[in-house]
Amino acid sequence: MNGTAADDVTLPEAPELPTLYRSALTLAVQRRAGRGDVPTRLPAARHRVDRVAVDLGALTRFQQLLGSPVRDQLPSAYIHTIAFPVAMSVLARTDFPLPLLGMVHLRNEVHQVRQVGFHEKLDVVAFAENLRAHPAGMQADLVTQVDIDGEQVWTGRSVYLARGVRIGPAMGERHDEDRPPFVAPAPTGVWRLDRGVGRRYAAVSGDWNPIHLSGPTAKALGMRGAIAHGMYLAARMVDQAVPAPSGALQWRVDFAAPVLLPGTVTTSFTRVASGIDSGADSGARVDVVGWSAKRKRPHFTGSVRAG
Amino acid sequence: MADQAGASNAAPSPRTAVVIGGNRIPFARAGGAYAYSSNKDMLIAALDGLVARFGLQGERIGEVAAGAVLKHSRDFNLTREAVLGSALSAATPAYDLQQACATGLETVVGLSNKIRLGQIESGIAGGVDSASDAPIAVSEGLRRVLLDLSRARTTQQKIKALGKLRPKDLAPNAPTTGEPRTGLSMGEHQALTTAAWKISREAQDELAYLSHRNLAAAYERGFFSDLMTPYRGLTRDANLRADTSLEKLATLKPVFGKSLDTTATMTAGNSTPLTDGAAVVLLGSEEYATANNLPMLANIVDAEASAVDFVHGEEGLLMAAVHGMPRLLARNGLTFDDFDFFEIHEAFAGTVLSALAAWEDEDYCKRVLGLDGALGSIDRSKLNVNGSSLAAGHPFAATGGRIVASLAKTLSEKGGRGLISICAAGGQGVIAILEARK
Repeated sequence: MNGTAADDVTLPEAPELPTLYRSALTLAVQRRAGRGDVPTRLPAARHRVDRVAVDLGALTRFQQLLGSPVRDQLPSAYIHTIAFPVAMSVLARTDFPLPLLGMVHLRNEVHQVRQVGFHEKLDVVAFAENLRAHPAGMQADLVTQVDIDGEQVWTGRSVYLARGVRIGPAMGERHDEDRPPFVAPAPTGVWRLDRGVGRRYAAVSGDWNPIHLSGPTAKALGMRGAIAHGMYLAARMVDQAVPAPSGALQWRVDFAAPVLLPGTVTTSFTRVASGIDSGADSGARVDVVGWSAKRKRPHFTGSVRAG
Repeated sequence: MADQAGASNAAPSPRTAVVIGGNRIPFARAGGAYAYSSNKDMLIAALDGLVARFGLQGERIGEVAAGAVLKHSRDFNLTREAVLGSALSAATPAYDLQQACATGLETVVGLSNKIRLGQIESGIAGGVDSASDAPIAVSEGLRRVLLDLSRARTTQQKIKALGKLRPKDLAPNAPTTGEPRTGLSMGEHQALTTAAWKISREAQDELAYLSHRNLAAAYERGFFSDLMTPYRGLTRDANLRADTSLEKLATLKPVFGKSLDTTATMTAGNSTPLTDGAAVVLLGSEEYATANNLPMLANIVDAEASAVDFVHGEEGLLMAAVHGMPRLLARNGLTFDDFDFFEIHEAFAGTVLSALAAWEDEDYCKRVLGLDGALGSIDRSKLNVNGSSLAAGHPFAATGGRIVASLAKTLSEKGGRGLISICAAGGQGVIAILEARK
């Protein structure tokens, strides 16, 4: 079990993502050259940054890029954005067994207890757990917790895959024919993403991962071309599914085929009756699918529930 | 806390609001006869024709309400400016209203309510739209730079603001018919609904054919002679194809719904084209009409605006009026059988046919509308008897005025009761009941 307070490493401030990407690159080169041992276990350390303040101008630019109302409360995905550098600093540790660059974001799950105002100070803790095999490599969970004045308000769990990495016994190969064929639901909308959306989202989120910035930088990292940030898709999904959250919010997104830029994502938002535990306060769940109508394959599936 | 006005809580109406008459200019196809006429120009043309017809020169009207869907920010007081440019008294107040394609009908509803409450004796309601003279905005990037620049005090701040300008920011933004929340155009939205209700290409083409045939017949018998003023050389709606046929309509290629799994059925023939035009309606109290020796074509009985959630897949974009209809009918103790004329705005043939299918569908009416059974069928011989938007065209905010004036005149000639239904962007709709004078 990872993530006990005893292992906490308190950082003075949220790290800069470009710096993390550079040190990850250096580490990758060293490991490829056979220098430095590759660890086989996740580090136990939890990284924390206390009392992170929200930059109002940056929040405004984030909200405007998503087309969401410029409110004083933070979009749920923006809390992820604020906490992301702390989480990345765990992945960039020299004792982290998987290579940060080129890792694939498989899934994101968020439990938010209440809405957060821009004036509040966020205590962010991030750690990794559940290193396990995946048919295509190794996967691990990156857990991020955000507390405000001792109250846990937001928890995110991101699942990352390191393709082609093997630690311990391998899993059986998964064959594509085992997967049920994708059946597109009735569309309710479309997102037309231009070539520059990766750079614009990088500017408002600070996530300058080269795979999102341009064709050449993405190809250098093994992609077919620049792809949209998963969290950009997730942020738009959450915002559109529940445009005016007032209390708790739960959401989950599973990423499938990356969205090559420029590209068109056909979307389906469906409000479905919530489960048996739904009280009078809890809203219905909204199920979301984003897919390529041309290639008939999904980009992501997700669901959002208020209350 | 659902809003549900019913017969039991409707306030007794102390007065009746009547339709005295209407006037519009012929509708032109975008880029056609009115390519260089602004919204204000066309609204003044429609107002001047109304003034001439009813002898309102220099008269102070209680209030004028109108609007445009595609409106430049400099036209913030479009209707008041049009009044000042018209032959009406400059002491006539005016306000702008915008409810997408329901704008025109909503101005009629609002002013008729003021008349019923005794706040005004007379009113002119209407709307105008130009797809040719559409406002073009600077890009979001350039707009922000210009705003920052206007706030900059020092040279350094000005250079910093200008430094944010990118070459692509110089491309202008033209207005689109896309829904902001879904990214789909109105036609693409309707294609989803048309497919969901399995409306056939043949049924859509037939509705379009009947629209042209009925509008042409109305012109032939002079129906529009006291409802229209020629403008810029046009004496008839430029979109009208009196000689169209089902065979000709069948040759047109689909334009919407081509990426769906189902066969695309919506063509330029069974969808309304972009159009320019203006329409206004003169309303008044019975006392006003009598005192000024003016005709009374029909009473405005009741109306309801409704909306649906089209963002989360619950309903089609243009289906809101379907939801408002049972509430409006129940409040007035009426069924479809109590009506002699139906004016259902033909945004697309599929819009009309989807609404008719929904009201006839027992399962849908129970499950979605919460009724005991199907709302009912509409006798097609009573539908859009003088043609509608597929033939006349649809300058968005002008359509309500066109329909109210035409229906009121029909009721004055034939008697009976009429129902209007207009769908609008944003998942909205406005419906209204008109009644012949006894």
